[in-house]
Order: sequence, then structure tokens, then C-alpha cells
Amino acid sequence: MLTLLRRYGTLIGFAAILLFFWISLPDTFMTARNWLNISQQMSMLIVVAAGMTIVMVMGDFDLSVGSMASLAGIVVAVMFTFDLPIWAAVSLALMVGLAGGAINGVLISVIGILPFVATLATLTMLSGLAFVVSGGKTISGRVIPEGFSGFARGGLSLGEWNGVAIALPNLTLVAIVIVALVWVLLEQTTFGRRLYAIGGNIEAAHLSGVAVRKLKLIAFALTGSTAALAGIMYASRVASANPTQGSSLMLNAIAGVFLGSTFSEHGEPRILGTILGVLILGILDNGLTQLSVDSYVRQILVGGIIILAVSTSSLTKHLRA
Amino acid sequence: MPLLTLKDVTKAYGGVPALKGVDMDIAPGEIHALMGENGAGKSTLIKILAGVVAPDRADIRFDNEPVSIGNPQSAHRLGLRFIHQEFNVVPALSVAENIFLGRAYPRRGGFLVDWRALNQAARTTLHRLGISHIDPRRALGSLTLGDQMLVRISSAFVGEAGTPARLYVLDEPTASLSRDESQRLFTVLDELRNSGASVLYVSHRLDEIMSICDKATVIRDGRSVDTGLIADITHDDLVTLMIGRRVEEAYPPRVGVPSTTVMFSAQSLAIRGGRSLTFDVKAGEILGIAGLANVGQRNVLRTLFGDISAAGGAMLLGDAPYRPKSPADAWRTGIGYVPRERRSEGLILSRPIFENASLPHLAQQSLWRSFLTPRREQRSAVSQGELVRLKAAGPKQRVRELSGGNQQKVVFAKALAGEVQLLLLDEPTRGVDVGAKFDIYTIIREMAARGMGVVLVSSDLPELLGMADRIAVMREGAITDIINAADTDEEQLLNLCYGRTTG
Repeated sequence: MLTLLRRYGTLIGFAAILLFFWISLPDTFMTARNWLNISQQMSMLIVVAAGMTIVMVMGDFDLSVGSMASLAGIVVAVMFTFDLPIWAAVSLALMVGLAGGAINGVLISVIGILPFVATLATLTMLSGLAFVVSGGKTISGRVIPEGFSGFARGGLSLGEWNGVAIALPNLTLVAIVIVALVWVLLEQTTFGRRLYAIGGNIEAAHLSGVAVRKLKLIAFALTGSTAALAGIMYASRVASANPTQGSSLMLNAIAGVFLGSTFSEHGEPRILGTILGVLILGILDNGLTQLSVDSYVRQILVGGIIILAVSTSSLTKHLRA
Repeated sequence: MPLLTLKDVTKAYGGVPALKGVDMDIAPGEIHALMGENGAGKSTLIKILAGVVAPDRADIRFDNEPVSIGNPQSAHRLGLRFIHQEFNVVPALSVAENIFLGRAYPRRGGFLVDWRALNQAARTTLHRLGISHIDPRRALGSLTLGDQMLVRISSAFVGEAGTPARLYVLDEPTASLSRDESQRLFTVLDELRNSGASVLYVSHRLDEIMSICDKATVIRDGRSVDTGLIADITHDDLVTLMIGRRVEEAYPPRVGVPSTTVMFSAQSLAIRGGRSLTFDVKAGEILGIAGLANVGQRNVLRTLFGDISAAGGAMLLGDAPYRPKSPADAWRTGIGYVPRERRSEGLILSRPIFENASLPHLAQQSLWRSFLTPRREQRSAVSQGELVRLKAAGPKQRVRELSGGNQQKVVFAKALAGEVQLLLLDEPTRGVDVGAKFDIYTIIREMAARGMGVVLVSSDLPELLGMADRIAVMREGAITDIINAADTDEEQLLNLCYGRTTG
């Protein structure tokens, strides 16, 4: 019974939330359009949370993903002001993410600073850098090429549903691809297995021949890249970039991974759990907005639900032991 | 009148019986050994005494009064003290502060702590237990493990007002102590006995039990099978009681003689923090390394394993120069390693057996060295498990759920999964029960018979004498003697370790 509650408690809560919204919003909630809409709104967070899962598997985390996303958006937009082609601007912004993540990795694995301290410092630096590069202004309007902002509006046509044409948004597609890649990486490759080994016992992993430093560095670089990708997606979606637009991503991504880890048998982060965790956050946000619940009250509710889920999971774990 | 009487203690976990009826009497002023193989139920019994686990049925009497120990607080109120537990210790505080932790410190002017009086009180307490070598002003964390344990005992000995310590429970206290540290602990236990307190002493080390305990209770398969005076029983009888059959030999017989082919050699190999060493290991040979605690044995293995770089000199594996830059390098070259601390260094307890066994050889067991093939890993783990006589529910069982002996077998399965030429063993039978010990010795012999070279570091001299072909004695970071195991005995070996001349 307790084991059931621990393993499926969050899932039961998830189902209850769905049911509640379905009943309260009979006409709008359980529709393909609303779900595709949720998937698009969530796509950036899903990408960041997928990247966050990579480092959290090792028991680390990365606080700098939000500022990295902001900076990547700014870099793309600024490159457009220099008339760079879209592919070049996007690649450059991704490179910035890779480099920023690698710097986190060096600070943590080579120099040995705690992830909390190291990424808190880079959070501040990247955020400052975003302001410096943009001059503190929002970059928008005609400098953003049509092809770039059009990407976020486009999608893969799924035919008609109740007489309305619906499409799978491009941003959702990107998120699905990233999730699939991270799933393969974490669950199907030696790289992922070794990250889980580091998370389980770093000393034993090292003595078993796992190249702990190198893997940590790569993992943080990957997390930085996904953060940059999310920033680019965001810039495409709003056809503009400002130096703070990614800042809400970090806490939500960490919350999503924690929520998601309550699904797994031993409480470790798993990518599919993370996706469920992020979806719970997104659905709550969507449903409460439709019920016109005040956004501040919404924050209180979301925080409360995170505490509820994680404490149910850890309390039942204590009781069982 | 006994201090503590247990009758018919039973406990099942989810239908699986752990204790099927244990009886035990502990008299005041007695050191009482609790013995049994891993999985016999010792830990469950201790958890029941500590109030951590509730028995299904039990008649527990303290001073002849029936009591129930519902939680750790009630165990504490009765005067039970569990020395192995880590709480009530703060490594950053001084020895004196730790001894009086949770009690009122002496004050000066009613407000400031009187440090001088506190340190003096701590010194007095330590002296009453015959401990004179610990400075009460030092940080607890800077002491050796053995000394930290002595401080913990002292802290329990001081007691709080109203609840004096009556029974000290020590679970495998000497598992990580050196010979000297263990001796000091035994002196302190003697003092405790003289003060009228009792000690419940859990250990696998028969020699210790024979020399310091008054009585012993042996449990097997959840039942107490015998209890009696140590003076009336022999070493062999105790082993027979514990495992339920007679063991003729403690060590499996030697098969053949090692070849004369040198498989590994160290030439003036300079160990960091030690000196330079020259020795070799022949194919099929078990080279023992003896020495007092912390004279550099561990660093020798770590250097051979590539975890610490050598400061100079050379190593040869076969005919090829061997220069490992990392443990990963060593595994690739065919070195297998069983580290000293299986829980913190050897295993990832939260992961399944097969993931632990395959970790050093993951690339070889994967598709294009990158994509996992869990079925292949599991098949390999099963066959490795058979090789090391592992008892487990299956390759997917989490290592955390295994007994100590079986966990150690997983460490061996992991070390032997590749194509190992040289096997490095650091205290391979530490904290392992008698039955599993024999299995591990058998594995080591089998590996040597296959032509592997084995380096065996051990603080257990009978183990070295029983297993090794040659024994290298280390003193202060250097190898001082290399002798044939057949030509020496425990006394001579101990003298060599201490640097005394034999005569």
C-alpha cells in the first residue's frame, strides 16, 4: 500500500488534476487544440528540463540554464542585426551554450567547485553578459527575419479535428526530438549508464574506470546547449529577445525533474519521469489560467503541489525503511 | 540476576522470518559475544534492542522487569548504548566537546564556557577508561577511526544524569581498526567491565572473541543455537556452531606450484608518500603484503592500479612496460581491483548486480562500445555470479539488498569480469562471515590456478599465511622482507611487521 502510494502517488495526483480540469472546463480542456497549445507552451521548458536531467542524474544541478537561455536568445537576435543568415546565428548561439556549459563543467569537475556555487556564479555572469550584449534593450521588430519567427508559428499538419485544421507545432517537434535524444543517451548508452553510476557512488565509479571528470564536463556542456536551444526557441516564438526572458526556466526545470523523480522506483531522475513532471506543471498552469485563477495564487498552488508530491514520496520511503 | 534477558524473540519481514526464536542472558559486568554468519539475524536482534525494529513476539526483561523497547529513546533510558551509531558525534568539534555533547558544559561566571574545566573533565574521563594518548582539545575528525570510537565510548560512559550506561553494544567494532587500535579498544572494554557495565560484542573475528569475551551466544538461521562460557569452548566448536557443519580447513588447499614466469614486476617503483619498491609477482602466484595499519600498503595497490601516479621507477606487465594513468587504463590493461571499503569504494549500492559487475568492462559489453546491451550484461553477470558462488535473486537485484558476504562476491564478480592478468586485493574478507570467507578464498585460489598473479593486502596474518605463496612485509612505506609463507609463522611475521629481530 505504502509502496503503491510512493510509486504511483504523483501519478494518481496527476490523474485527479486532469479529471478536475476536464470536469470544470468541459468545452475547452480536453481538446486537441488545447493540448497542442500546451505542448507548444511547454516545449522550451521540456528542452531545458531534459538537459537538466542529464546533470541531475549525477546528483548535480545547473542553476545557470535560465540566464543561458536568455543569453542565447540575445545572441541570435544581435547576430540578426549584423545580417547573419539564420543558420549561422542559430549555430553561433548554440556554440555559446556549449561553451558556457563547458565552463560550468570545468569549474565543477576540474577545479572542484560545488555545482551550486559554480552555477550560481555563472548564472550571474551570463545574465550580466546578456544585458551587456543587448545593451539592456529588447531586440525585436524588423531585425528578426520572417523565416526565424515563422518557424515557431509553423507546424506539421495533422488534418482536421471537429472541422478545425490542427497542426503539431514545430517547437513541440523540436522538444520531442530532444527528449528522444536524451532518452537514448541516458537509457541506452554507456554514457548514460556511467552518469547513473557517478550519481550512485562517485568514488566507486571512479575506481571502476569511469572517467568522472570528462563525463561531468560533457554532461554540463550538453545541459548548457539545451538551455541555449530553449532560448532560441523562445526568441523564435515571441519574435524578439530580451535579457531576462529565460529566467523562469531554471526553477521550473528543477521542479519538473524533482516531480518526475517521484515516479521512478528508487527516486532517481529519469527522462520520462521528467517529462511527466514538466507536463504536470504545464497542465496546472494551463487549467488554472483558463479558470482565471490569479497568477500569484497560481504560483502558490504550484509550489504547494511540488512540496506535496516530493514529501509524499520521501515520507513513504521513510515509513517503509 | 541477569541484567538483560531475551526470550523467544521473533521477527519476520513481510512473511520472511529473520528471527525464529532467540534466547539470550547478559549478566552485569560481562562481555558477551553475539556470533553468527551474515544473515543469521544478528543485525535484526540489535535493531530490536535499539528500538528501531519492533519484534513480532518477544519477552524482554531488564533487571528482571518486563520492558518493551518501542523507540530509540526508551532503549537509551534503559541504559543501552549503541557505539556503532554515528549520531551524537560532531567531527568538527573537539574531543572534549564531543564527550560532553548534549550535557551542560562547565561555566565560568554563569555564562562563558569554562574550556579548561571541560578539557580537564574530558581528560579525567579518558583516564578512567585507561586512555592516555588522546588530547581532548583535538578535533574529533582529525583522530583515527579507532580513537574516534574510543571517544564515542567515553561519551557514553560519562552518561547523563538519571540514565547511566548499563550495556554497551558494539557491532563489528574492529572491522576498520588496526591491530594496535583494537588492543586499545580491548583495554577500554576491560575497564568498562570492571566498572560493572556489560558489553554485547558482535564480531566475526573468532580470535578476538576467544580472548576478550566471557560468554557467547551463537545464532544460526534466526535461532539461538547455543550459549555458554568462552572458557568451555574451542575455536573450532564455535565455527561449527555458527555454520552448522564442521569445517576441516579454514583455507582451501594449494593446487600445484606457481610458475617461474614473472607476470608483473615493479622496479624501484617510487610510491607517493612512501619509498621505492622492487618486487615481482609470478603467474599463478599469490603475493601477500603484510604490515601494521597504514604503512603504505593501500598506496602500493593504488599505484599499481593507476589511481595514484608513481613518482619514479618502472612497472612491467608481462614483458611490456606498464604505465597506467587512471583506473580506466588499469582495467583496460587487465588489472582487477577489489578495494578495501566495499560499500564506499567497491559498489554502487542503489544499482542492480549486473550494472555493478559490468561497469569496468562496459564498453566491451556494448554494441560499438557505446550502446548498452543489458541482456548480454545480465548473462555475463549470471555466469560471473556462478563463478564467485553468489547467492542472489537474479542479476537485476539491487546490491543494497544483499548480505555483506554476497556484496563482496559482487565486487569479485566485477573484478574478474574482464580478461584479468593481475588481481589486486585490499582486505578482501573484511567484515565477511566464515562461510563466505571460505568461498572467497576458493575463488582466489582458482584464479591463481588459472595463471593470474594475485597481490593480497591483509592485516589478518593467519589469512596471509594460509593463502599467500610469498609474503612481502612493509614497514614505514618500504618493503623490508620478502619471505616464503611456508617458511614462517604468525609470531615471526608479527615480529617482522614491528621490525623486531626474531630470536
